[in-house]
Amino acid sequence: MTGKQPNSGQEPLYDTISRILRHNITSGRLPDGLVLIEGPIAKVMQTSRAPVQASLRMLNAEGLIHRFRGRGYLVGPALPGLRPIRKALDEFDFEIPSSSRSALAVRGTWQRVYDKVEAEIAACQIFGEFRVIETELANHLGVSRTVARDVLSRLNERGLIRKGATSHWLAGPLTARTLREKFELRSIMEPAALRLAADWMDHAQIARVCDQIESGMTKDAAELEDALMKYCLSRAPNSALVEIITNNRLLLSAMDKALSDLGLPVDTVALDQYGTLFRLIKSHQIHAATEYLREHLRILSYKSLARLKIVALIPESDSIPKYLSRV
Amino acid sequence: MPAITRNPHKLSSPPQVKRRILRVRGTDVTLLDEVRQMAIADLGFDIQHESLDFLTCQHRAAMDPMNYDIYEQCFHNLDIVWYWGALQPIETRRIKQWDNIGDLAKTGGISKYTWTGHGDAPVRKLYVQPDGTLGQQPMPTISMLPTAHNVDSFGYDTRLFGAEGPEGSSWAWLLDRRARGRIALVDEPAIGIFDAALAAEANGDLTFQDIGNMTVDEIDSLMALLETLRQQGFFVGSWVSPDQAEALVHADRVSVQSMWSPSYANLGPMKDVFRESFPREGYRAWHGGASLARHLTGSKLDMAYDYLNWWLTGPAGAVMARQGHYMTNAEGLREYLSPEEWGYWYDGDIARCDLKGPDGRIVVRQGQRRPGGAYRERVSRIALWNTVMDEYNYAARSWNRFIAALGAATP
Repeated sequence: MTGKQPNSGQEPLYDTISRILRHNITSGRLPDGLVLIEGPIAKVMQTSRAPVQASLRMLNAEGLIHRFRGRGYLVGPALPGLRPIRKALDEFDFEIPSSSRSALAVRGTWQRVYDKVEAEIAACQIFGEFRVIETELANHLGVSRTVARDVLSRLNERGLIRKGATSHWLAGPLTARTLREKFELRSIMEPAALRLAADWMDHAQIARVCDQIESGMTKDAAELEDALMKYCLSRAPNSALVEIITNNRLLLSAMDKALSDLGLPVDTVALDQYGTLFRLIKSHQIHAATEYLREHLRILSYKSLARLKIVALIPESDSIPKYLSRV
Repeated sequence: MPAITRNPHKLSSPPQVKRRILRVRGTDVTLLDEVRQMAIADLGFDIQHESLDFLTCQHRAAMDPMNYDIYEQCFHNLDIVWYWGALQPIETRRIKQWDNIGDLAKTGGISKYTWTGHGDAPVRKLYVQPDGTLGQQPMPTISMLPTAHNVDSFGYDTRLFGAEGPEGSSWAWLLDRRARGRIALVDEPAIGIFDAALAAEANGDLTFQDIGNMTVDEIDSLMALLETLRQQGFFVGSWVSPDQAEALVHADRVSVQSMWSPSYANLGPMKDVFRESFPREGYRAWHGGASLARHLTGSKLDMAYDYLNWWLTGPAGAVMARQGHYMTNAEGLREYLSPEEWGYWYDGDIARCDLKGPDGRIVVRQGQRRPGGAYRERVSRIALWNTVMDEYNYAARSWNRFIAALGAATP
């Protein structure tokens, strides 16, 4: 599906977005003073906000747009007396060149494809060791082998698959040993990230999470685990550390999801523990929160081992995709 | 009878009181009809038994938690059902005989000098810890009330192996080349895998750092060994229920196999040929018990506690004893056994007369002595417990593939 432009799926999305915006500004389609806000642009481009943010920063650095006292940016150089124009993009002759259009579309497809495969590959590992067959994967997804290969190398980078001795791609098995190792990593890295993130956390969000827990609105420990990652750990000013933490969690959350889908009940003890943890963070007791997180992870590790035993009751489902073959 | 003269119509109408029912889900290890009838008579409510094989029982207890009140299984099957959230903690203050529960369950061994054994010793799963996990730190609530237990070995054909001699037999016999083509294993992964592992270690093929918690590599080696032996035609097959194991002996298809205590009474004419072993490496032990379903409350919960307490009153323990199983509060059932029965089953004495089993058939002939001897001798020689290891998911899947390749043994 990417026949003409095999790399277009890999170009950073913000480059594509910058190119489109640049084209519309330099061709005069967007007037000076037009307010550019990431949300509406993301909607037009059918992407998330993050790459739009990045491309606006780029265009700002290039001098094509500039910051002003309001939210967002204004098109053109910062001239005195320029009045902000607040209108939707589609009121102008906004154009997405066809080459960029396909790049955007491919990008969207690629991401969707990737997310699906990532979930499938993570979930299969509780059933044992599987070989991932590249040609079958391409057929299964209806994409070229190039795209399939890109997907596989990304999975490899994230630690979900590896090359075997005969250079086949292998996934799994998720064993108690893997689980123990992953939790050991968690208890080394996550408290460290929490400490580093102390001055960077989003306290408004943390207060909101605390309120939700107290009002009994949060019923899912996985939700709180995500919130801890999003508002606390990922704020650590060390992106390499955050990336390792994220990747290390992938398999664990896949296993949790597989079990929750089977109707495993809510772990109320874990919910309580997250409540305590968020309260400590909210009151800026980072040292205590770090220690508490370590203890919480120790208990979680023990429980996860017990949950992994439960997995033995789940029959190897027929839903294992064809591109995976048992080793 | 003034009531009748006042209202004669009452006589012809059926009783209006609905029988209260307690539903027990478990295995045929403890779900005996003799026990059920006695409990009904003593407790005044109805008891329904749902007897399933080990794996189905565990699976349904976890996934279908509303359709039973009591779960009767073993401590090693507890983890899965417990962490599924299907059970509720038992308050020991509501167990009248709590103080008489044996040390084998409560502390891990019959004395502090005995070795606890590898794997899931019941004490490691007994107490409900404040964080919701199970552990051996004493707490006011427990996960399962300890009841019947035993130590298992394997059965062997004396025509092939001869008499045991003073040293006892060895687990190595279970994979002995002389028995090639006449070996059967039990299919339950938390049990059968350990029979095979004990045999492989005893005959020197493999060593395990902790046989009760094998590593992935150790499991792979064990399964590779078993697969090789399977291809060489060592095995007749596997069995699921004890009567299948007995049928294999009746048909003279096995020389050595996994086998459990009550089966030795059911061997008919093969009884003198096929014997219970007394392995020098020690026994594989198990401890049964009863747990409360999560959904129980109010009067239903009271009934369940009555039933748990009843288990420790003696009659049930006497039935268990007559099929070779021990009870956790042994002294409590002594008065329900004849001195000859107590002497044979618990003290390891030579039977002074023929002894009957739970169903009235003669199961022990005068002059016999229980292999392994007295209770204290036998339970102080526990090599390991039936166990759901950390790598259970991995081990059970490998084991089940092996069992599927092996096929069921049909006599």
